Amino acid sequence: MTGYLIRRIAQSIVVVFGVILLTFLLFHLYPQDSAARACLGPKASKVGIENFNHQQGYDLPIYHQFWNYTWGIVRHFDLGSSCKYNQSVRSLILNRLPKTLVLVGLSTVFALIVAVPLGILQVIRRNKPIDYVLTGVSFVGYAMPAFLLGELLILWFALDLHWFEFEAPQSASMLQILGDPRGWILPVFSLSVLTIAGFSRYMRSSMMEALTEDYIRTARAKGAGPSRVLFLHALRNALIPIITLLGLTLPAIVGGAIITETVFNYPGMGLLTTDSALNNDVPVLLGTTFVAAVATVAGNLIADILYAVADPRVRYG
Amino acid sequence: MRSLRSRRRSRFGIAAAAVLLSVLALAACGGGGSSGGSGGSSTSSGPAQSGGTAYFAEGTQAAPNYIFPFASLQYFSVTNMNQFQELMFRPLYWFGKGATPDLNLSLSLANNPKYSSGNTQVSFTLKPYKWSNGEKVTAQDVVFWMNMMKVEKLNWAGYAAGTLPDDLSSVTTSGNTVTFKMTGKNNPYWFTYNELSQITPLPMAWDISANGQKAGSQACGTASFQDVTVKTTKTSKGSTVTPVSAAAKSCAAVYTYLTGEAKKLSSYATNPLWQVVDGPWHLSGFTTDGKATMVPNPKYSGPVKPKLSKFVELPFTADSAEFNALAAGKVDIGVLPPSDITSNATTSGTCTIKPGANNPRLSNYNLVAGNAWQINYFPLNFNSTGNNGQAGKIFSQLYFRQAFQTLVDQPAYIEHIDKGYGVPTYGPVPVCPPNNFAASELKLGNPYAYSPSKAKALLKNNGWTVKPGGTSVCADASKCGVPAGTPLSFTLQYVGGSPFEDQLMHAEKSSWAAAGINVNLTTSTFDTVLTNAVPCSGGSSCSWEAENWGGGWIFAPDFYPSGEDLFQTGAGSNSGSYSDPQMDNLIKSTTVGTAKLDQYGVYGAKQLPVIWQPTAVAATEINKKLQGVTPLNPLGNLNPETWYFTK
Repeated sequence: MTGYLIRRIAQSIVVVFGVILLTFLLFHLYPQDSAARACLGPKASKVGIENFNHQQGYDLPIYHQFWNYTWGIVRHFDLGSSCKYNQSVRSLILNRLPKTLVLVGLSTVFALIVAVPLGILQVIRRNKPIDYVLTGVSFVGYAMPAFLLGELLILWFALDLHWFEFEAPQSASMLQILGDPRGWILPVFSLSVLTIAGFSRYMRSSMMEALTEDYIRTARAKGAGPSRVLFLHALRNALIPIITLLGLTLPAIVGGAIITETVFNYPGMGLLTTDSALNNDVPVLLGTTFVAAVATVAGNLIADILYAVADPRVRYG
Repeated sequence: MRSLRSRRRSRFGIAAAAVLLSVLALAACGGGGSSGGSGGSSTSSGPAQSGGTAYFAEGTQAAPNYIFPFASLQYFSVTNMNQFQELMFRPLYWFGKGATPDLNLSLSLANNPKYSSGNTQVSFTLKPYKWSNGEKVTAQDVVFWMNMMKVEKLNWAGYAAGTLPDDLSSVTTSGNTVTFKMTGKNNPYWFTYNELSQITPLPMAWDISANGQKAGSQACGTASFQDVTVKTTKTSKGSTVTPVSAAAKSCAAVYTYLTGEAKKLSSYATNPLWQVVDGPWHLSGFTTDGKATMVPNPKYSGPVKPKLSKFVELPFTADSAEFNALAAGKVDIGVLPPSDITSNATTSGTCTIKPGANNPRLSNYNLVAGNAWQINYFPLNFNSTGNNGQAGKIFSQLYFRQAFQTLVDQPAYIEHIDKGYGVPTYGPVPVCPPNNFAASELKLGNPYAYSPSKAKALLKNNGWTVKPGGTSVCADASKCGVPAGTPLSFTLQYVGGSPFEDQLMHAEKSSWAAAGINVNLTTSTFDTVLTNAVPCSGGSSCSWEAENWGGGWIFAPDFYPSGEDLFQTGAGSNSGSYSDPQMDNLIKSTTVGTAKLDQYGVYGAKQLPVIWQPTAVAATEINKKLQGVTPLNPLGNLNPETWYFTK
């Protein structure tokens, strides 16, 4: 297991490095002065652009720029600075990431808590009215546009009933955000609805598949009761696809949920990424891509490790 | 040299116009205003009370992020200047008087400038203002700014070659009077509204180059303008400025230090530097997301003292989020998103917009509409190599531009797309808000009123075979000005994402098609459109045909709507490379000479250097209990010191 872990971590570092290299090269396919023009405006003088490029190191050979960039990340987690925001990319990410972690993290946990039992319930009552109703509700939830749901929730529960705030907590501190449930309940719920719909469908089909396996028949033949079969034998195996799904959710937890962030006035990582793309804010775009790449790799790594925990048949040499 | 006055308004004007149109109209006027603004009333509902906190909704994704008034291009915005810095650090001259863009002497730091020696010299005397640290605002504080400008002019967003400080031969002080000697004659209006308007006196507390230094320890603030010497080197790419004298070097060091401090957003409210203010407010809180909390400056020595106990600017991610804040009653002033306007406004005269019934969810607000000091247009590229090299040649034909403009039905677009919240643009000098600069001829109406039959006739009479709904083709090269067989077709790129801009562009496309002018619409991001719309002179990079960034031009901080930046031959913001000797002469007569803007305005309206577009006007919601806000300032300046709550 230790050897496997070391190998996987080494592979992950190579993948992250590859992503940085690729995105770095992709962004350099932009016209040479586009970053300067995006920052200074289209009428910036040639000298102004030259100064800007020099200050940012854009006038260096590309391999030199790449070295400076990666070395900056390794040494100080220095991801450059944003012209649009007048801040370092690191401070921007450190400001936005906690918000997104709370929003997407809580919604994922909430979704799991609801979706797993829901999926099991549908299997127990499969092809019964409750199964059909829950399937229908899942489809509606899955199809519901996030902005529409968000706006409707605000309209009903914040503006009309005054039960909750119309916007998410505005603090940058994770603790302060968590301490304001009137602020975070609506955005978390809004985001959870989509996830619950997806997770519960996965859980249902995964559980159904597990119940048709030979070891389930064997367990029943040996006299195991329905609950024991369901929760001890089937559930553990049925959770493996969910673990994969969770691993793939990590990038989303870090990457943010742009629509929910926009509707609930909650500037997180998703909004930061899309804004930087729209504004040709290359350092921010590179920084958020880097963070998303690390999260993706880490998510896969964690999922792989959890496989071993969940499935005793999985053994790593 | 004047033709090089190009860059100054570009970033601010274009970007601000497109992104911050809505923010502009939120601005409240300062004292001394007299003329009524357009729009709804702000009825008083009880006796005035002192104290209270007013919440102001910042423009969507337009939060302040730069506190040092000597800003470079990237930080030069309405949000940073008019709605943040100037609340704390007053400019030498304040513009916006009531609903007009006029010079507001009562809120200015100096008295009326006096021109002499054939308009080659100007003197102004500072009023007895004080900084919050007890020091007086002196003539030397103006010189501090000028010294900084001399050394760091390339880092000053308002700089263009040939303008301040290049057009000064000396700056001297006598008591509290400053005298500028210019290198040539200038129109006093132009110099006051476009040059003096850029100056913000700097406190001696900022004349330091490291933490802990004693105020005024550097020579930048105390040296005379003449003692600050620099070496300007011209290269193929432009100029570089190198400080030569010790005073100049200290200016460079001070600039480096202050810009470094201005990058520390999280310390804005705690850094002692930024607490030395001469405006009515100082920062008591600031978050990196852009939430700014201001409290009254207890030592403010200006004419209107704040009545509120706190003024808070709040950032928003989207229009919908701002509307929710309004509906929840969490902000006192905000823009009603166009999609949430439930009743059309009506127009009385050309400029006065009377809002319709308010959105039912906003019954606690008064709905107000105020004009911005701007024009709206999009450029055609006169040098375009598109359409097989014929696009630029087609655009150069006045008859084509006339036909094209004649098919733009501005009143209809304002009524049906802008829901009445808009004013037409007929020429380079804004008619709205009411002002003394626009020619009376233009105040009477549109030189190119909507008429498809006239447009078709113009094309037919000039050798085109008009194919309504299709693509007209040049049949007679000697009349068309382009080879026979040339199709009347080109591409117009505009900023996508706004349903209203989409509607406008498609409505115009449909209208142009009526005369067989086939316009292919494409969309892109704001930055891309701006990056494309640069003057060019042939070659593959000059293939763009028409670009519409959606906001035209806001006249700020160069408030005199002269055309040297926009339509003079070779001007940097002359996106389409329009060139006309008569236009150049008319512009020159208004900047160097003393001619009024009438002739220039009328000529520009008729010559169509760009295609004039309707200007959308923001619908602003103001808490009914908040008074002193209207009339709205057309330049985007905020004066919360005039605001107060009623019981």
